[in-house]
Amino acid sequence: MSEKGQRRFGRTELPPELQQAVKRAIRLEWITLGVLAVTVLAVGLVTGSSQAMKAAWIEDMLSLIPPIAFLIAIRIINNPPSRDRPYGTHRAIGVGHLVASVALLVMGAYLVVDSAIGLITADHPPIGSFHVFGQTAWQGWFMIAVMLLSVPGPVILGRMKLKLAEQLHDKVLYADADMNKADWQTGLATAVGVAGVGLGWWWFDGAAAIFVGASILYDGIRNMVTAITDLADARARTIEGNQEHPVIYQAEDHASSRDWVRQAGARVRDEGHVFHMEMFVVPEPGAAPTLDRLQSLRDSLADLDWRLEDIVVVPVPELPAEVHGGAPGDLQSEGGQRFRER
Amino acid sequence: MDAAHHRSPGPVAPAPPARRRGILTTAGLALTAALALTGCTSSGYPADPEGTLDRATGGTLHVGVVHHPPYVDATGAEPSGSEVELVEGFARQIGAEIDWTVSGEEAVMTALQKGDLDLVAGGLTSQSPWTTHGAITRDYAEATGPDGKTAKLVMAVPLGENQMLTELERYLDVAHPGAQP
Repeated sequence: MSEKGQRRFGRTELPPELQQAVKRAIRLEWITLGVLAVTVLAVGLVTGSSQAMKAAWIEDMLSLIPPIAFLIAIRIINNPPSRDRPYGTHRAIGVGHLVASVALLVMGAYLVVDSAIGLITADHPPIGSFHVFGQTAWQGWFMIAVMLLSVPGPVILGRMKLKLAEQLHDKVLYADADMNKADWQTGLATAVGVAGVGLGWWWFDGAAAIFVGASILYDGIRNMVTAITDLADARARTIEGNQEHPVIYQAEDHASSRDWVRQAGARVRDEGHVFHMEMFVVPEPGAAPTLDRLQSLRDSLADLDWRLEDIVVVPVPELPAEVHGGAPGDLQSEGGQRFRER
Repeated sequence: MDAAHHRSPGPVAPAPPARRRGILTTAGLALTAALALTGCTSSGYPADPEGTLDRATGGTLHVGVVHHPPYVDATGAEPSGSEVELVEGFARQIGAEIDWTVSGEEAVMTALQKGDLDLVAGGLTSQSPWTTHGAITRDYAEATGPDGKTAKLVMAVPLGENQMLTELERYLDVAHPGAQP
């Protein structure tokens, strides 16, 4: 066990500013859960027969999954690697990510189909009244009020979490923050859908529900692609997933800069937060890859970035094709060369 | 009213991603639109897509009833019973003549779904399975149901005719205030 209150990612000791970031992320996720629980309760009380409200309600309930996945994963990841789990437990984050994305995908698809059927069969949503404080008021007003009130919280929390997710290289936190940030669109769409029903445009409700369902489906597909890519050991990418992680080039350049190294190429996969790196080095002719040289290279690579801790340095006569070589123009084949040219 | 019509679909379009000021502006617009809509509450908001209440007001209210004493007794020349009185009160309030249709539950609910009836009464409860055929009102009173348990009495109006639904519920709240907590 680590020192009390100390957070670590498996073997990786976190620098103090990241310790702070993890603590803040955990606090924000608990706040998110609280805000969502209140929202789910409030939306559930006023939902009635509106399809758009039903979609928004399901979305709010699904939004509970990523924070829970994050809070569980961050606990599991605290465990250092063991004989049974030699790579550590970092994959917990990937598994959580995949589970959450599949839930989103299935519910999103269901809502789109269900709402589309409702539109085709011309379901007119009945929205009656509530009787509160001796007054009878249209239920739609309560729906609109709840939806508009539910908008600001997740947006603010999402923006705060997004910064932490980038800092921690945490894909679940990133997915969660990204969804929260886009939450206002569905909240507003639902409110507009109900307002449209009030004007006698019954199809507004189904249209808003399709919009909400499509946004859930889109989140699901996007997250599932990232989750599967990472679990399938793709080359490590930035948290947005749109480009290779610069740490790979930095490490390759750092290794090639040693005078006894002629060529260096790394195989890097994203374990969740941290990377697992196999650094292949081709020694200069006549230079011996001694234990000291290998060990010192390993240690200095680990100092490059906190994400690098699980590093294997392998002397080879020639770089493996998947690390270096292959067709020109293939990004993966260019290794550190491309970075150096810039 | 017209401006609100045109504005409504606006906020659905995704605005430029997450600039706080943009969000506040959009939220403000939506709120303004909502407040603008509040202004027309009295004149048909929520509105009926098929105009049920408008047509019945000062005209004919087509009511389907099912024999179910003491709520509806259809043995006489004219229906009577507690729900018949409530419906007559509602019709008086909107200045409508009632055109009664007496039949079985399935027949009147199907007619309601087709739009041939504006209102159905006959000791329906909130457990009614007819929610696919009509919009069930909020319960207005309690009674003992067929299974001996407490049942909540409701009526039914055409699906999605929300002005009709809201006005009937408002009338029942006043005419039968005992049911309200």
